[in-house]
Amino acid sequence: MKYSMAQGLSCPVRFFARMGRRYGVEWWILCFGAAVVLAIILMALLSPLVAPFDPYSQEAGPQLAAPGGPHLMGTDNLRRDVWSRIVFGSQTILKVSVLAAVISSFFGIFLGLVSGYAGGLADRILSLVMDAVYVFPGLILAIALAAMFGPGVLNITFAVAVIYIPTYFRLVRGQTLAIKQELYVEAARALGASSLTILGRYIFPNVIATTVVVFTLNVADAIMIEAALTYLGLGLPPSIVDWGMDLAMGKKYLPSGMWWLITFPGMMISVLALGFTMLGEGLAEILNPRLLER
Amino acid sequence: MKNLFRYILTRTLMTIPMVLILLTIIFVVLRLMPGDPVSAMLGGHAPEKVIEQKREQLGLNRPMHVQYADYIWKVCHMDLGESMVLQQEVTVAIAEKLPATIELTAFGMLITLVIGVLLGAYAADKRRTIRDSAIRLYGIVVYCIPVYWLGLMLQLVFGIWLDWLPIAGRTGPRIFASDFQNTGFYLVDTLLVRDWEAFRDVLIHLVLPSFTLGLTLSGIFVRLTRANMLDVLKADYILAAESRGIPHGRIVYRHALMNAFIPILTMMGLQVALLMAGAILTETTFSWPGMGRLLLERIYLRDYPTIQGVIIVFALMVAFISLLVDIIYAIVDPRIRY
Amino acid sequence: MRVSKVIALCLVAVSLAFIPTTGQAAKKDTIVYGTTEKVSDMDTAKAYDFHTWEIFYNVYQGLLRYPAGRTDLVPGLAESYSISKDGREYTFRLRKGLKFTDGTAFDANVVKWSIDRVMALKGDPAWLVTDFVEKVEVVGPLSVKFVLKNPVSYFPSLVASVPYYPLNPNVYPKDRLVRDPSELKGGNMIGLGPYKVVSFKRDEEVVLEANPLFYGEKPKNKRIVIRYFADATTMRLALEKGEIDFAFKQLNPADIRDLMKSPRVKAITGQGPYIRYLCFRCTGKPFDDKVLRQAVSAAISRKPLLDKVYLGQNEALYSMVPKGMWSHDDSFKVYPGDGNVKLVKKLLKSKGYDEKNKLAFELWYTPSHYGDTEVDLAAVLKQQLEATGVMKVEVKSAEWATYRDNWTNKVMPVFLLGWYPDYIDPDNYTAAFAGTEGSRGMGIFFSDRTWDELFTQAQKETDTKKRTALYQKIQKMWTIEAPTAPIFQGSLFVFAKKDIQGIMLSPTLQFNYGPIYSTE
Repeated sequence: MKYSMAQGLSCPVRFFARMGRRYGVEWWILCFGAAVVLAIILMALLSPLVAPFDPYSQEAGPQLAAPGGPHLMGTDNLRRDVWSRIVFGSQTILKVSVLAAVISSFFGIFLGLVSGYAGGLADRILSLVMDAVYVFPGLILAIALAAMFGPGVLNITFAVAVIYIPTYFRLVRGQTLAIKQELYVEAARALGASSLTILGRYIFPNVIATTVVVFTLNVADAIMIEAALTYLGLGLPPSIVDWGMDLAMGKKYLPSGMWWLITFPGMMISVLALGFTMLGEGLAEILNPRLLER
Repeated sequence: MKNLFRYILTRTLMTIPMVLILLTIIFVVLRLMPGDPVSAMLGGHAPEKVIEQKREQLGLNRPMHVQYADYIWKVCHMDLGESMVLQQEVTVAIAEKLPATIELTAFGMLITLVIGVLLGAYAADKRRTIRDSAIRLYGIVVYCIPVYWLGLMLQLVFGIWLDWLPIAGRTGPRIFASDFQNTGFYLVDTLLVRDWEAFRDVLIHLVLPSFTLGLTLSGIFVRLTRANMLDVLKADYILAAESRGIPHGRIVYRHALMNAFIPILTMMGLQVALLMAGAILTETTFSWPGMGRLLLERIYLRDYPTIQGVIIVFALMVAFISLLVDIIYAIVDPRIRY
Repeated sequence: MRVSKVIALCLVAVSLAFIPTTGQAAKKDTIVYGTTEKVSDMDTAKAYDFHTWEIFYNVYQGLLRYPAGRTDLVPGLAESYSISKDGREYTFRLRKGLKFTDGTAFDANVVKWSIDRVMALKGDPAWLVTDFVEKVEVVGPLSVKFVLKNPVSYFPSLVASVPYYPLNPNVYPKDRLVRDPSELKGGNMIGLGPYKVVSFKRDEEVVLEANPLFYGEKPKNKRIVIRYFADATTMRLALEKGEIDFAFKQLNPADIRDLMKSPRVKAITGQGPYIRYLCFRCTGKPFDDKVLRQAVSAAISRKPLLDKVYLGQNEALYSMVPKGMWSHDDSFKVYPGDGNVKLVKKLLKSKGYDEKNKLAFELWYTPSHYGDTEVDLAAVLKQQLEATGVMKVEVKSAEWATYRDNWTNKVMPVFLLGWYPDYIDPDNYTAAFAGTEGSRGMGIFFSDRTWDELFTQAQKETDTKKRTALYQKIQKMWTIEAPTAPIFQGSLFVFAKKDIQGIMLSPTLQFNYGPIYSTE
């Protein structure tokens, strides 16, 4: 063997240290966020291996047992293991929030590009609608939409996705308007490039860089909205394991002091949201320090 | 001054399409929802013909566009209609609940401002130290804590374990709002009649909900204040003041903070949506009889007029606050041209 | 610095708020009653919920009534009644010399006026009158005759229900429904019952005081204060702190469990009239087949279900007619039994279902109408049904507003429902679900001529012994046809301070405040 173990390890360690020196705290925020997100994604992917019990099993242990022994986070009134439900619950919340962010970014970017590029009356009306939705509390709209769609994983995903479309739309449209005026775009147009080419080759690549950061932060927000909806009893059928629903179920045991039923699901929601937020913040500071101040 | 007046007028007019758009969205969404108010209201015992009759009576059998035109026409005449579930004017229901929400949000905002601005200013002053990093971390962490979970945890600790504070409602079981009710703002009402016991009761009921709301929102303000303060602290006049020997604390917390305050205030306007979403969740956690609970209850019952009324009020509140912030900014900052 | 002064002032104000004030000593003749229920409309022609009815039981009185804690009817405002031969006419002889507080005399005209008003205003419970009564006739000053559309042997229990209560014609408006007592002439609810309402603050407090003009036994307390709580947790804490004398409806299972163990309060429990059951849509595949319905009923294991969902509270139910009601028979216990997996497998095998070809269906529930334990109930049922190894259950939910439409539109093959009786008679627990018309209204769509004839026969029959036999026969037939499967019967829980006596619960839910007193 050419390299010793220490040498092999020293390379990434040096890389991390160098990045840490260059970007300071932001680098560590980014790393921490990435680690948390990665850990939870792994937990979701490997749920059956990580969880000691079947999350649905109503014979996992005694009723309402406090954390300890075989039950790391205790059991609920249906004698299900809370930790196993936390593990499997990560699948739901990740699926919904990431998918929702993908859907809203797709529609938001598409509409923003087209609307900003084309301009005219349609653009003005669309902007007006998007602005109205943007300033309005998203949770309220999501509540109404979730009630309209009824319970279901895809339904709640759409309900969450709709309220973030304006975020992307405004960002992308603004940039499109600015880039449209740039000299090189004007030149391309003078040379006879089609609108599609201009949008695809000149505007889109410029826009996409900033949306990456917004996307990450958007996932963090979507996590909180998803959990809020299910906490309010909207959005998902009970046959799905979900942190927000478990939190809502644990709520009625609060006066009896059964703290584990509310502490752990809520903590996990916070940690996951924190992971994505830190990832986004770190990225933002490193890629484009002025972005978040806008 | 005349220009300013015109600016305010146009800004006000611009809120109309916004409210109209939101109202239309909600109207359509509500009609597309499965279920209807009559079924919800009558429960399982009423015969089919009674239900049909009631639907007819409420005008739910008409085509959607007719219902829509009718509703918009009424709203233009300041008539929000009558609840389909209770025999109650929507305006009355809202007038009952709105003060509760405003009281909660106002106190939440106050706590946010005190915590957020002070911590943010302190962090800016001590920039690039451990304390600065700790405060910034606090800002991020607090932003990511779901408001309802924080509420539950505070209930558990201060309400159940320590038994210091009440965990639900606006008053205790021995204090009756109808004895002092006047404006609907219980703190004001109890002061008006000088009922000190009731005042104390209302105040301690406000503590947990407003702290919950205030703490979760303070994260953003820490960051905003810090960023703005950093800019201000770099300014020449601060350096000048420093060189003249004015005490450091006075410079930071008086002069610099005052100058950073206006941008902070405008940023606050942008957080209104977040504040309201937070208020809805806080209300459900603390059984706070406000607009959020009204909205949720009535969504389950498909009470179209009340839901629409609540949405209008929320939209107006958002519009009003952003208008107010714009106007303040316009008055204070002469660079803004209207 | 000025800012610090403001902060200091705030701190002082807040700390002042925490200084405990001396609580007023509760007077012995006042009993404070806490509940999370809500009062609806203070009108017998509109109110259709048990809490509002409970206030009516104590403030007004019917021609017939249920005494505290009992299920047998006794004379109320009527001294006696007689039934015509064909069973279509009921003539009531009214009590003499009764007067409302404003001097209006109670007579046959008052009764006719009240019933006519309910029929004309068509409020929510009006069908309890209009479905049965054709007209009311004044026979003499103290004699009133109800002419029925069809002979109904349980008419006396209908007469004991709130829509039949006589009201003061000089106080209630004839042509409109009343919501608050302030809309009444005189501004307060005063009737012929043991109490009068002296203060009414919606959702906060209702105060009742003994009615000095009441003809019957005087209440053992002077004043009942009903205090309304927004949530069960606050009510529980108030009870533990001694701020209320007793609490009734609706505590969470966890709260009930803790209070049962608490040394500071005592529990009074009783059977409620409330039943929960599983409904089958008896039309269309697959549950038009009674064998499949039997199989699903056989798979329910009631005791473990109650242990998990309600922490052991409430009572397993083996018939649609609840315990405590005459003619009750534990028929489902015999067949198809409780958690009888062997039978389930046998029944399903006969229809071609087994471990490989499972019987798959949707189980529906509604998440808030029956409280937040409903999610758990559905989850446990699913688990029990699937544990047989031959069923595959998909749990679905819909808000109440949609739920109702769903059953009308035949969307739900199996669904959970609950029932509070409208009147206290086995008919209301049987015909309502398995009679052709009632069944259609509940989304069950069960229809059988033999059954309909049995129901009519039982409705007409006036001899209680024969009626009992008929209803027991129906309950036996229920286990074979199984249009619904009973699950459990709600227990009633009152938690009271140790010194409170005289609380009597009854399956009629006619909770009387009169006998309650404090020994302090």
